[in-house]
Amino acid sequence: MNKKNNITEKYNLPSTVKFCKRCVISNQRPRIVFDDEGVCSACRFADHKKNVINWKDREKELSELCDRHRSNDDSYDVIVPGSGGKDSNYVAHMLREKYNMHPLVVTWAPHIYTDIGKKNLTSLVDSGFDNILITPNGEVHKKLTKAAFLEMGDPFQPFIFGQYSAPFRVAIQYKIPLVFYGEDGEVEYGGAMEHADRASLEYDHFIAVRFSNIFPSSFEKFGIKKSELDKYGLSIQELNSIKDLGIKQYFFSYYHKWIPQENYYYAVEKTGFEANPVRNQGTFSKYASLDDQLDGFHYYLSYIKFGLGRCTADAAHEIRDGHITRDEATALVKKYDGEFPIKYYQEFLKYCDITEEEFNEVVDSWRGENIWKFQNNEWILKNPVWLEK
Amino acid sequence: MKRVRLIARLDIKGENLIKGIHLEGLRVVGLPSDYANKYYHQGADELIFMDTVASLYGRNHLGDIIKSVAEDIFIPMTVGGGIRSVENAIEILRLGADKVAVNTAAVMRPNLISEISNALGSQALVVSIEAKKISSDKWEIYTDNGRESTGIDLVDWLTEVESLGAGEILLTSVDKEGTRKGFDLELIKTASNTTSIPIIASGGMGKYKDLQDAVNEAGADAIAMADILHFNRLTFASIREQSINSKIVIRKHCG
Amino acid sequence: MDNKVVIIDYGIGNILSVKQGFQKIDANVIVSSNIKIIETATHIVLPGVGAYENGMNALNQLNLTDAVIKIANKGVPLLGICLGMQMLLDESDEFGVTKGLGLIPGRVENFPLSILDHEPIKVPQINWHELVPSQSKNNWNNSLLKNHKQNDSVYFVHSFVANPSDEKHKLAEYICGGNRITAVIEKDNIWGCQFHPEKSGATGLNILKNFTSL
Repeated sequence: MNKKNNITEKYNLPSTVKFCKRCVISNQRPRIVFDDEGVCSACRFADHKKNVINWKDREKELSELCDRHRSNDDSYDVIVPGSGGKDSNYVAHMLREKYNMHPLVVTWAPHIYTDIGKKNLTSLVDSGFDNILITPNGEVHKKLTKAAFLEMGDPFQPFIFGQYSAPFRVAIQYKIPLVFYGEDGEVEYGGAMEHADRASLEYDHFIAVRFSNIFPSSFEKFGIKKSELDKYGLSIQELNSIKDLGIKQYFFSYYHKWIPQENYYYAVEKTGFEANPVRNQGTFSKYASLDDQLDGFHYYLSYIKFGLGRCTADAAHEIRDGHITRDEATALVKKYDGEFPIKYYQEFLKYCDITEEEFNEVVDSWRGENIWKFQNNEWILKNPVWLEK
Repeated sequence: MKRVRLIARLDIKGENLIKGIHLEGLRVVGLPSDYANKYYHQGADELIFMDTVASLYGRNHLGDIIKSVAEDIFIPMTVGGGIRSVENAIEILRLGADKVAVNTAAVMRPNLISEISNALGSQALVVSIEAKKISSDKWEIYTDNGRESTGIDLVDWLTEVESLGAGEILLTSVDKEGTRKGFDLELIKTASNTTSIPIIASGGMGKYKDLQDAVNEAGADAIAMADILHFNRLTFASIREQSINSKIVIRKHCG
Repeated sequence: MDNKVVIIDYGIGNILSVKQGFQKIDANVIVSSNIKIIETATHIVLPGVGAYENGMNALNQLNLTDAVIKIANKGVPLLGICLGMQMLLDESDEFGVTKGLGLIPGRVENFPLSILDHEPIKVPQINWHELVPSQSKNNWNNSLLKNHKQNDSVYFVHSFVANPSDEKHKLAEYICGGNRITAVIEKDNIWGCQFHPEKSGATGLNILKNFTSL
């Protein structure tokens, strides 16, 4: 029923799978680059963070930026998109305490809250932060999530777009030019060295890259009006306001060395953050991405497409941060990567209004050709990192 | 006057001493042997070494560390993490440890407890329990260094392990560990009311009073300390001094 | 003086720690289960941990029981540690009656119940305790505990108590639950420590040193 998608072409991937010599990421991660020594660009960026960047200078830049924008009447002067997670808690708290700013935390609601997620948002608010929670139209969001799952192989795309545009809308409304994100993902995890020294993104980037053609109009066949689809991005008027008000997206990771585990410690101590009591499915970690019952499926599809699941992603940055060795990471990946997120499977099916058969068909249509083989009646990875020679 | 043992707990990963919060986010503190020797000379009563990645690799890797510290350290040492069989336990003891601690493997196969107890004596066997509070008077047992829930009730498990021959219980509160907000006193109290074997309370010590409460209010027989020692928030000398004033009997240390 | 301390290896107990304890005090020490080597010792150590029956069976199976008794009767200083100390007595009640080496008259029995108003005794008793002279001794001069400071604790871990039938064979005790519990026994050239001198820090190492000069 579902046409098989060609992952290699769609994501422009090399057909021979290779793993980074230092971390456990493979060249199947879209946009990552491996150098002549077989080391991935994200690891090279980690070196850059450790050896080249002058963090004192960077902090000074942030001080100056804040000095220029700090309100003198306690009104909001910075937006921090976040949901009570360790990273945005760290950013919001640092901006308030160390840089004396007045943050407004803007949350785009998860599909379905987990208990720990709700608890952590409450803890954040209770540690002294104003919060705006934006919850999209449930009916639309469900249809769109289903559409994205079927057509894009990632049910999380609508969430990601909504989460991205909503804080800007609030920034426009309150006329706040600073929207502070945590890390620059493309740089930290994709090693896009050409962006290693970018502190922020602005109008030019939004109009050309981020908010152009977010969803295909084919989505309308799922019963979603164009006007509803458009709400997930930013309109031309909104983008113009961004330009006029000088609203920019800043990366905290540009100004402070970004170490997720340190964010965890900070968030526990200062904002009452609690890790998940059990490990998250698909990985060994307990402290990242806890608040949405459905996020396991985003990682699972990544595993299907690229052979890189949640555990790989967690393990890779822990290697780069010097917290675990590659041997340990390999053992962790072998043990946990690709673990099916069974805990909320029924919730996911119900949310998207699909059957298990449909689910499996869709999943199979997104299997990366370079990484899977069908053997003894099951799909297995052709060349997992733990069998690498 | 309650007699209490003061134990330094060292969580180890690979070659390093580490420490986390809620058994997560493991930070490197330093070399295990440096800290082990330091605590011995400062007057620790016992040392506990836990291999935190043992279940990942399928075996306990603390042999080398134990062997090297055993040459200079003459107080009891317990080793845990990844111990799955009587053979594993015997091997660890032959390298210089006095007791072994088991958790995950014992939950999977409770008879392991009686096997080790029969072979080595109950005094050589510590059953390590990681407990997470699920309601005001109920706790659930966790395994795999706080990663996997089991659905097993604390009281049921305590009763079972005692009958199978455990010598001591190392009781860690998953909720409190690494937080420095004090021990889970209700947990310790429930455990010491359920079983008659010695209980080592672990997880959450932030200041001396926490120790006092754990012993006097909750009935702990020994206190395992990690964060508070590794990050130098309190020393053994200070603990000894404060114990003298609080009706807790501890080992007399001649230095 | 040319000492040769031989620790009897009968497969039971943390022998390495005992050996390292003696090494730390610069004694000439080896571990052996070979009768010929044991017979050349100037000092013998019988370690042991765990069940009485297992201990005696292991010793018997290696044909060491008679050898140990013979050497002890010759006057070679013998130190029993923990289970090793308990095995010096006639027999034990642990899980049914088991015969011991019979070198010091007495029996190994259960812990007594604690006396009212005293701290309840937990078994196994795992604690550091201070030693007190037994009621038949005034001091510890010229004994295994020479120069041992009464206030220095030593490490105990045991589930049963050694009860020599003759008071004069008790050298030291500790107080637990209001009761006196045997800690050190002696008879001529034979000594036994219920506690682990190799696990009692510097205090314990001093006791090992005393043994090598007896």
